[in-house]
Amino acid sequence: MLLEWMMNGHAILYTGVTLAFWSTILIIGICYTIFDLGFRFDVAWFLTETSPYMWANLGIGLAISLSVVGAAWGIYITGSSIIGGGVKAPRIKTKNLVSIIFCEAVAIYGIIMAIVITNMAERFNGDTPDTIGARNYQAGYSMFGAGLTVGFSNLFCGICVGIVGSGAALADAQNASLFVKILIVEIFGSAIGLFGVIVAILQTSKVKMGD
Amino acid sequence: MQVHVCVNAASSSRTAAPRQFPPTAGHIVGQQQLASYLEKALDVGPRNVVLFLQDKMSIEDFTMYGGAFGNKQDSVFPNLEGALTSSSSPLVLPAVSWPASNAVIGQLQDQLETSPLYMDPETLSQLRLNASSPALLVFRLPYGIGADLMSAKEVLGGNDEVIGQVLSIMKTQAVPYTAIYTALRPSREAASLSMEAGLGGGRSLLQARGGYREREKERERQRKMMEKSKVYAPVEFKKDDSSCILLWARGLSVSILRNREWEEHDLTPSTFGDSASVKLHGSECDKTRARLVLNYEKVLGHNSFKVVFAMSQRYYKVSARRWFTLDAVELEYDGVKARFNGSRNIYAPAEYSYRCESVTNFRWPLLFPWSSKDPAIQWRVSFKDFQIQGFNVSGGDFSYASDCAGFFSPGIWMGLMTSLLMVLVLTYGLHMIMQLRTMDRFDDPKGPAISVPQTE
Repeated sequence: MLLEWMMNGHAILYTGVTLAFWSTILIIGICYTIFDLGFRFDVAWFLTETSPYMWANLGIGLAISLSVVGAAWGIYITGSSIIGGGVKAPRIKTKNLVSIIFCEAVAIYGIIMAIVITNMAERFNGDTPDTIGARNYQAGYSMFGAGLTVGFSNLFCGICVGIVGSGAALADAQNASLFVKILIVEIFGSAIGLFGVIVAILQTSKVKMGD
Repeated sequence: MQVHVCVNAASSSRTAAPRQFPPTAGHIVGQQQLASYLEKALDVGPRNVVLFLQDKMSIEDFTMYGGAFGNKQDSVFPNLEGALTSSSSPLVLPAVSWPASNAVIGQLQDQLETSPLYMDPETLSQLRLNASSPALLVFRLPYGIGADLMSAKEVLGGNDEVIGQVLSIMKTQAVPYTAIYTALRPSREAASLSMEAGLGGGRSLLQARGGYREREKERERQRKMMEKSKVYAPVEFKKDDSSCILLWARGLSVSILRNREWEEHDLTPSTFGDSASVKLHGSECDKTRARLVLNYEKVLGHNSFKVVFAMSQRYYKVSARRWFTLDAVELEYDGVKARFNGSRNIYAPAEYSYRCESVTNFRWPLLFPWSSKDPAIQWRVSFKDFQIQGFNVSGGDFSYASDCAGFFSPGIWMGLMTSLLMVLVLTYGLHMIMQLRTMDRFDDPKGPAISVPQTE
């Protein structure tokens, strides 16, 4: 039975990735311990030597990509329900498009934030921690944090709105009066995406990258 | 570097030729000694010399193919062994330095006062030898060309047969002779590790690549390199007879910007090695501070020039250990003090020494001028292969060297991070794709196949 479970593609994939990740960490940790090089494990060195550009761009990338993943997930959940329900109850088609629009809004939040964060990335002259300066480090980390914030908020918001919208479509197909009430639930779900955007804007409000 | 060839000599005469003692085990016979052996053999023994000159030979050939492991029947040298056992004064020199064996023809020529005759078994049977007049007959024997063991064995077997033929022809001619079996070059060299490991720096890859000639070239190159960077002791500052500060560098130079040009002065010869003339006045060290002062004279037009390394150590709470830092490198001359700050990058745990391939203030700088107006802005210092230790020095040796180059560089970390992110994305994507299922609710394997009509 273990073999059957192992033959499952998902199991192989996840065991493989987990094994690779943890064994790398374990082996590196053991090597550092054996050779008494523990003093070389320096988080501050990592944070100051890695370029703020990397962090900034990771933030931008995550902002848009995670938002789009959330929106896509939501749309496909809702969309399939609407289309499926619309076979027997064609009247739901037009009304339920609003669920799709809520999901799409999440992607729009993502792209707006990505553009806002991109505009904050400026050139700076400096290649050592001293010459780069604290402000540029703060800028890099803030942009990363903002991207992460808006990305994950929109991801879960999109999924939430999608599942609720799917339920709404199917309920609407059964009983037309249910739709308006369920829309309230969707609005609450959508608000959480907005929270993410607001916090991200606050995070990047103090960013000033450059010389 | 020791590479050696084997020399087997046997004399056929039954008269009492002096039995020569073989050399002690491991001794490598040089040119002089080989000459004396040959002289002794030819003085009393027969003056007809049959020289079998193989391209390459080493004692390993005989141990590998001579049935030395109890398998006498597999030996490829039956004729050679027969000749040695039947000879009255056999002599085996297992290790002869190869320039000496190369010169054996010349030596025999000198001692016999005759020129060598290059022969093979066919021409030998046609030759008439005389016991009284000396003759030097040389038989060139090949060796295997590739590293193919089979071919070496076959070639050696073939050579042994040639030896057998020649010796039997000599026997039928009933002329007393001395036979010598040697080679021009060794077929393998004994990798002498002590030479390379001891003299710091020359480390050769032990993989057999390209063959003998390339290895020779590699060793030559490394020998030259080792001679150039002579190994010398570090600069040692002693307090009360115990070492306190150690400094070593392969290159130590300072440059000053004068008339828009950099004038350099190399301080290495006056600091290290046999020509060191540096004085350490003014150096001091205690538990928390160490200061090494190198005093020079006549550097770049300044009568007294000092290079000062100021170090300090203390306990750091977050990492819970003691670290030392090279706080400043100062150049003092004519009352001017040019200061470089090194505490940002030059540090190591207090028990270890700090080592870096290049410590400069201009190329991947680790030293920075103390302030923007400091006289240090017109100076350049460059230390190559720099190693320093200011605390916890025991004996005259450095402790473990904490290198400035770690295993992971910032670039590697950044790459790993982004790669990890990509792998996560890929994993998620794979997860999604793998859970796609074909719709099979309406499948009916026993029903009729679906037909899509072309026409209405």
